[in-house]
Amino acid sequence: MTNDLAMNRRRVLVGALGMTAAAALTAIAARPAAATPETAKQLLQTLAKGEPKEGRVTLKAPEIAENGNAVPVTVSVESPMTDKDHVKALHIVADGNPNPGVASFFFTPLAGKCEVQLRVRMAQTQKIVCVAEMSDGTLWSAAREVKVTIGGCGG
Amino acid sequence: MRIKVRRPWPAALKGSRSEVGDGRGALSLCLAASVIALLVAPATVAVAQTRAPAPLHLEGSAAPEPWTRYRGWNAARWDDYNTLARRDLTRPPGQEIEIATVTGDPKKGQELAFSRARGGGCLACHVMGTSSQETPGSFAPDLSEIGAAGRTDQWLFNYVYDARVYNPQTSMPPWGAHGFYTKGEVGDIVAFLKTLKAPATFKDALDDPQKRKQPVEDREALDPFVNPAAERIEVGAALAAKPVGNGKSCVSCHADAKAAFAGWATSMPRWEPRLNKVLGVEEFIYRHAKATLDVDWRMQSTANTDLSVYLHSLSNGREIRVDASSPEAKAAVARGKTLTETKIGQLNFACIDCHTQEHGALKWLRGQWLGEFRGQLDHFPTWRTSRGTGETWDVRKRFQWCAVQVRANELPPDAPEYGDLELYLKSLNQGLKLTAPNIRH
Amino acid sequence: MADDIKPRIRVPQNPKKGDVLEIKTLITHPMESGQRKDTQGNTIPRRIVNAMAVTYNGKPVFSGKLEPAISANPYLSFFVKVEESGTLAFEWKDDDGSVYTAEQKITLA
Repeated sequence: MTNDLAMNRRRVLVGALGMTAAAALTAIAARPAAATPETAKQLLQTLAKGEPKEGRVTLKAPEIAENGNAVPVTVSVESPMTDKDHVKALHIVADGNPNPGVASFFFTPLAGKCEVQLRVRMAQTQKIVCVAEMSDGTLWSAAREVKVTIGGCGG
Repeated sequence: MRIKVRRPWPAALKGSRSEVGDGRGALSLCLAASVIALLVAPATVAVAQTRAPAPLHLEGSAAPEPWTRYRGWNAARWDDYNTLARRDLTRPPGQEIEIATVTGDPKKGQELAFSRARGGGCLACHVMGTSSQETPGSFAPDLSEIGAAGRTDQWLFNYVYDARVYNPQTSMPPWGAHGFYTKGEVGDIVAFLKTLKAPATFKDALDDPQKRKQPVEDREALDPFVNPAAERIEVGAALAAKPVGNGKSCVSCHADAKAAFAGWATSMPRWEPRLNKVLGVEEFIYRHAKATLDVDWRMQSTANTDLSVYLHSLSNGREIRVDASSPEAKAAVARGKTLTETKIGQLNFACIDCHTQEHGALKWLRGQWLGEFRGQLDHFPTWRTSRGTGETWDVRKRFQWCAVQVRANELPPDAPEYGDLELYLKSLNQGLKLTAPNIRH
Repeated sequence: MADDIKPRIRVPQNPKKGDVLEIKTLITHPMESGQRKDTQGNTIPRRIVNAMAVTYNGKPVFSGKLEPAISANPYLSFFVKVEESGTLAFEWKDDDGSVYTAEQKITLA
C-alpha cells in the first residue's frame, strides 16, 4: 500500500519536472524579480493545499550566514512514523531566491524518524518555510529567517 | 558500496556502464591518511637537511606563461597603481582642494554611499545612521552624526576625495583622486553626509556591527561530506601513485610518501638558494616533478592543487615550523613585512590596513569579519564557499584574490614577492596546527 | 564533467535490529542553477540533480525533488529503521538524463 503510494508520488514528480524545466527557461528569458513571500506561499499551495498549523516541525538554520552558497538546514518533524501516523511529505520553499522552490522530500514509515539535512543556496537574506504533510492529511509548518551577509570589497 | 553512472546518450545506447569509484573505500583512505599523519613523529625537517637537495627544474616560470588572470575574475587592469612588484606607480596625493560650499544631491549621495558597485561603498566600513541597509561595517568611525559634528564642507569634500591630504597613512581609499567618483559625485556624498545627525538605529541586532557575533569556523574540514576539498586528498594521493611523463610516479622514489612527507608542509615555504627566492609547496611540486618525472604540473593546474592538498594533509595536526633563521630567510622575512605595509591598487590598501588590529583586523567589512595575519596561513589549500559552486585555492591564489579585490594587478603565483610574503606570514603563524584542506568563506 | 560525478554514502557502524540509522549522502555535482552568466554574459544553462530516491531491500524509504536552490554537491541526510539486513539502493537523476546509482549493504549484528 504504502509503497505504491510512494511510487505514484514519484511518477507524479517526474511529470512535474518537465514543467519546472520549461518554467525555468521562460524565467530566464523574462528575467523575473526574485521570489516573494506571496509566490513562495502560492508554490506551497500547489505542493500541499490547505492552511498549515504552526508546530510539530523544527527548522534549524544559522541566523546569519557569511555567504548564501551553502546554508546548512536541518528539518525534523514530530511523528511516530508508523503505518497509521507518519509524515508523507516535507516541502521547503524560500522567499528571496530567483525561484521560491527548494525541495520536497517524501517519506515512508520505513524511515523510522522524520529528519532531513540539506544545504541551501540563498541569494539574499530571506525566510525559509517548511510544510509537513501528515498521513492524516493535516499540515504543519515552521519558518525561519536567515541573514545572508555580503562581502565588503565590491564585485 | 557499488556505484554506477548510467549515461543516456550515447553510452546508454551501447549499454555501457562506467564505474566512478567507491566512495566508502575512498573515505577510509582519507581517514587513514589523517590518522597516519598524526602518528608519525615530527623528525622530517631535521632529516631533510642532511640529505642531498631535492632535484629541481630551475629554468623558466612555474606558472602558466604568459600569466593571465583567472576566468570569471574582474578583468580590469590597474596599470597606473602599485602592485607588490611595482611599488612606484601610485601618484602621491595632490593639494587640498579649496571649496567654500558643496552643492550636491543627498539622495544620489546616499545611493552612492550604499552601493557596492564601485569599490564597495561607504557602508562597507562605516555605520551611516539608518536602518535601511543590512550589516554595515565597523572598520572605520560611525558617521551617523557626522552632519552635526561641525565639519566644514571643504573638510568633508577632501576627506572623501582624498583623505591622504589630512592623514598620509589613512586606510581610507582616495575615492575621488583614484577615480571611483567624480567631483560632482563626491559633492553628492558630502550632501548626504551633512544630513546625518542622529545615532544609528538597527531593525535587527545582527545589523549592528558592535553586536554581531564573530564567526567561528568549526565545520569538520576533513570530512568530505562537509568539505568538497577533502575529496581531493585521495585524488592527490592517487596522482602521486600514477606513472606520468617518464613512466615513473612520485611513489617510485617516495615509497612511503605518507611517512616521508609527514610534517614537510609545516616547514614550507623555505629559502631556496638555487632559485634565489622563497619556494612554496606548489612551486616545489612543479619544479621537482618536472625534474624527476618530466611532467608539467604547473602552479594553479588541478593536478598541482590536488597534490598540494594531499601533501598538506600529511602534516595535519602538526605545528607550523618554518625556518626563518638563515640570513637569507631573515632578509626574505624582512622584505615580506615591508610588502605587507605597501599600499597597492586603486583602493590603495596595504595588507596591514585590513589584517592588523591597529587598523581593520577583528572588525567588520560589511558582513565580512577581517582576521589577523596569525590564523590566516594554517588552513591552505582551502575550499572557498563563496566562489560560484566552490573552488579549492592554494595560498598564492588567495594572495592574488586580495590584490584584485583592492583593484591591483595580481602577480604570477610564483612571483618572488609572494614567496617573501608567504614566508613572513607563515612565520607569524609559527606554532599553529595545520589543518588542510580547510573551508572558508 | 560526468567523470567528476561521484556519490558518497555513509552509514553508522555496527547497526542492530530496530536501530534508526542516519544515512548521509553526497553527490559531487555543480548544480548549475540556470541563473549564472559566463564571462561573455551568456546564461549558463541549467543542469542540476533534480531527484533523489532511496529504497531498502526494494522498498521506498525516502525520496526528494530538488530545485536549483540546492547547493552544489548536494548533501542529504535522512533516517532509515532497519529490522533486517539488506541493501540500501540510491538513485540520483540529472537534468541531462543521466542516472547515478549507488548501493550500500547493511549487515545487522
